[in-house]
Amino acid sequence: MYKAVIGLEVHCELNTKTKMFSGSINEYSKDPNTNISEIDLAFPGILPLPNKEAVKKALKLAIALNCETPDKVLFDRKNYYYADLPKGYQITQMTLPFGKKGYLEIDIEGQTRKFGIHQLHLEEDTANMEHLERESLLDYNRAGVPLVEIVTDPCFNTESEVITFLENLRNIIKYCDISEASSEKGQLRVDVNISMMKTTDTVLGTRAEIKGINSFNTVKEIITYEIQRQQEILEKGEKVLQETRRWVDDKKITVSMREKVDAIDYKYYVEPNIPPVAITEEYKKTIKEEIPELPIERERKYIKLGVLPKDAKTLVKTKEVSDYYEEVLELGGEPKETSNWLTTRILGYVNTKNIKFSEIYMTPKMLANMLTMLKNNSISTQQAKEICTICLEEQKTPEEIVKEKGMEQISDHESIKKLVDEVLNENEEQVKQYKNGKTNIIGYLVGQVLKASGGKANPGIVSKILNEEINKR
Amino acid sequence: MLEKEKLNKYAENLEFKINEKEYETLQNEFDILLKQVEIISKIEGIKDYEPLDFPFPLENSYLREDKTNMKISREDALKNASETKNNCISVPKVVE
Amino acid sequence: MNITEIREKLDKKEISIEELYEKTKEHAKKSQEKLNAFVTITEKCEHIESNSPLNGIPYSLKDNISTKGILTTGSSNILKNYVPIYDSTVYKKLKESGAVLIGKTVLDELAMGGSGVTGHTGIVKNPWDQSRIAGGSSAGSAVSVSEGIVPFSIGSDTGDSVRKPASYCGVVGFKPTYGRISRFGLFPFASSLDHIGIFAKNVQDVALVTDIVKGFDEHDMTTLPDEEIKYIDEIKKEMKGKTLFYIKEIIESASTEESKEVIKIFKEQITKLKDNGIKIEEVSFNKQLLESLYPTYFIISCAEATSNNSNLTGFIFGNREKGNTPKEVMINTRTNGFSEMIKRRFIIGSYILERENQEKLFLNAKRVRRIVVEKLNELFKKYDGLILPAGSIAPKINTNEEADRLGEDYLILENHLVMGNFGGYPSITMPMGYVKNMPVGINLTCAAKEDALCLNIASQIEKIIGIKDNKKGDEKDV
Repeated sequence: MYKAVIGLEVHCELNTKTKMFSGSINEYSKDPNTNISEIDLAFPGILPLPNKEAVKKALKLAIALNCETPDKVLFDRKNYYYADLPKGYQITQMTLPFGKKGYLEIDIEGQTRKFGIHQLHLEEDTANMEHLERESLLDYNRAGVPLVEIVTDPCFNTESEVITFLENLRNIIKYCDISEASSEKGQLRVDVNISMMKTTDTVLGTRAEIKGINSFNTVKEIITYEIQRQQEILEKGEKVLQETRRWVDDKKITVSMREKVDAIDYKYYVEPNIPPVAITEEYKKTIKEEIPELPIERERKYIKLGVLPKDAKTLVKTKEVSDYYEEVLELGGEPKETSNWLTTRILGYVNTKNIKFSEIYMTPKMLANMLTMLKNNSISTQQAKEICTICLEEQKTPEEIVKEKGMEQISDHESIKKLVDEVLNENEEQVKQYKNGKTNIIGYLVGQVLKASGGKANPGIVSKILNEEINKR
Repeated sequence: MLEKEKLNKYAENLEFKINEKEYETLQNEFDILLKQVEIISKIEGIKDYEPLDFPFPLENSYLREDKTNMKISREDALKNASETKNNCISVPKVVE
Repeated sequence: MNITEIREKLDKKEISIEELYEKTKEHAKKSQEKLNAFVTITEKCEHIESNSPLNGIPYSLKDNISTKGILTTGSSNILKNYVPIYDSTVYKKLKESGAVLIGKTVLDELAMGGSGVTGHTGIVKNPWDQSRIAGGSSAGSAVSVSEGIVPFSIGSDTGDSVRKPASYCGVVGFKPTYGRISRFGLFPFASSLDHIGIFAKNVQDVALVTDIVKGFDEHDMTTLPDEEIKYIDEIKKEMKGKTLFYIKEIIESASTEESKEVIKIFKEQITKLKDNGIKIEEVSFNKQLLESLYPTYFIISCAEATSNNSNLTGFIFGNREKGNTPKEVMINTRTNGFSEMIKRRFIIGSYILERENQEKLFLNAKRVRRIVVEKLNELFKKYDGLILPAGSIAPKINTNEEADRLGEDYLILENHLVMGNFGGYPSITMPMGYVKNMPVGINLTCAAKEDALCLNIASQIEKIIGIKDNKKGDEKDV
């Protein structure tokens, strides 16, 4: 039997205002070569100017991923030649990466799994290349954009572990507000290293590498395919080659790009133009304090509050939803009730309408108000559902809807007793039947009271008073 | 002595070719350099020292604030490039 | 003429800025055939009016310093058509101070040499004797001041590239503390050793120009915070009882007849300085370390240079050659763009940076650098400065032998100035006498950031030695 051993390198573009080593705009633009400076194009004589905010964001992620962090900022040069690399070297971190030996914790089906982070470092992106028939066009808008690279341990065995990890990682990145982490914009790119080994073996097999994958779905497809491909090779008694492979999306296969003869020597050395800057414990503390409650912490908290584990996962999946949920709780929402309304009604609406969560009209305050009305019995559950739909679709507040539709529930004892008396007086025959033992007739009578109230009377209270009154007769 | 083949590999990795006549000069230079390196390695207590990356510790160390303050025009960016197309610098097609 | 003299003529309206520019330009052009100091001579008088003492003063700039709209070649074929799109900080400051650029001066290709004979536009000759080299790499800058074309020039100094040619050409050459002058726009050779430096006719002019070009620059992370002082005032302050030292082993290393002559002059000047109240002591320095200076410099600088010049591929700028793939373009561009000597340096640098060699070569060299710097820092606690001969006299131009080939001899006397770069120390060379009718220089190096002290003592030494505004035989003032 074979098992897959998978490691990841995840590149994430940071959402800073400016680039990593220059003051030019860090913004995606379709218009080529517009967000650039002499530094990004590496004209002779330029010097790198490291971005404070990028450093902070990278450290933030390192801390959020439980990494060991260094006591100074130090950059290194990685030397290689490529058409998209203006300086002929990339400024990155080798000697003192911002993160080492960290982990990401995920609760999977009641069990806590720790996925090891080997290293996290800050570097700069390369130029974008567009390949035409005979030439390649270089656009430097992306050149110099700050990138965080997260290198995991080879700690995954299945594609679903990988996907769960990636989703959680993306979540943390978003929670920490260090990147939009949009796959469509190429802000999150994944390299996958995958090898197979006998379950009884202790030595890793030869690995194949697939680089620059933009979507998680493709990551999944690639791993599934590679596991099968490599397994077939091994079962035939042949050897897996150490190579870089490319995903051919329309055929759903990987093909060999180049065999790795020996590892390239990137001739790393300390970047001489950036004097080391101290990272004090105090600064680390400040950053740590800025890290919001992370998804796993919230998930665990919600479960403790009585939310179903499945729903807790849904709630923390995006920070927006989770923040919304927290706000409703703060406004007095009951945890489980709120979770039910949010995950089924509201997220259900978002999904069917295929809109962004941020676009919904219903604010946490509105949901909280509606839930209060429900709790006070001033509206019925049925009415609440209606309010929810109208609020989302017609952009009206629950209060407005209640007023417009005359939905306020009658729940004061006096008014209901009056209605009950009327109904009992008008239905002498049914009262008689009741007295004769046909007690289920009470349902009919409750219905009559509700009808008389125009549907506004609180059914529970109606039922209670009706029972009291009928027995008095 | 570094073989010609190895020297060639270095040149190749640096993306240039060297003149046939240069190998000898280069081998001589390497011989001299490596002899000197041996002498350096024998300096007493050399391993006890941290390599010095900067002339002196720069106490004014700071990082750049994240404010946009640099821009060149596309015209300037492409001015020195010998081949351009669609507002980009053009190179022969990159085939991995 | 020096800056003060020109200033006076301009202020008295004896000559207008434009007239001065035209005359200077003619002088520069006329000198080309004989000395070949310039890559480019500017075409018109670009002048911004200012109140600075440099307003209207002509000067030259080494051709590895970025000037927007003006060809900047690094004296290499690979950049022979390169017109920068941005200004270096030093050029910007000079422009804003009203100084007028006359031309861009020849250097050794990409500043990687010490002779002034390897630039792509040909050999630079020494004004004192055209059969001799000017020294490098800031050859054209030294020559343009020595010849009296301009009163000051801006160069760069990675090993001794300002202070050596200054000595060979009989002018003053100053390299302030690392970070005192921004390197933004200086084509890098070895970033941790690179400095901008100044050539002028006397110490006062050097101080004056340094005041204009120094200062913190947000474009260069390694620049020092601003000091609230002006060197031009500092050099006039009376500072007495300063103590200097020289290194015994360097003085004793003189082997040739010429260098022995140089030492003789040095010793005479030392006596003179002592007679005039400057205390000077002899200090012994580990000879093995001294012999390691040049190899250490060579290793660090080649390694850094290899990486620093990796942007020269021909894609975005530079002289692109044809090819069917980007790789072919790069190979053809770099093969034709660099001289063979440069390629050899890159190969050596690349070898030094290889993972398996870094420890023994690169890191050990950086360790030697630390040992030397720590020793000197220790000495600078006791002494105000280190005084030494800058080297021997300018050698003859030898067209049969390639310049700047790595040699086996330990020429400590010729190579000790790199110590100034190792520790980023302020270091100044000024004329101290003549051997075979060629000028020889004396060098003063002080502790890092002690630029004011360095210039003040230099000014005292200049006064005592008595060679100021050195004029070679046939120099004529405009």
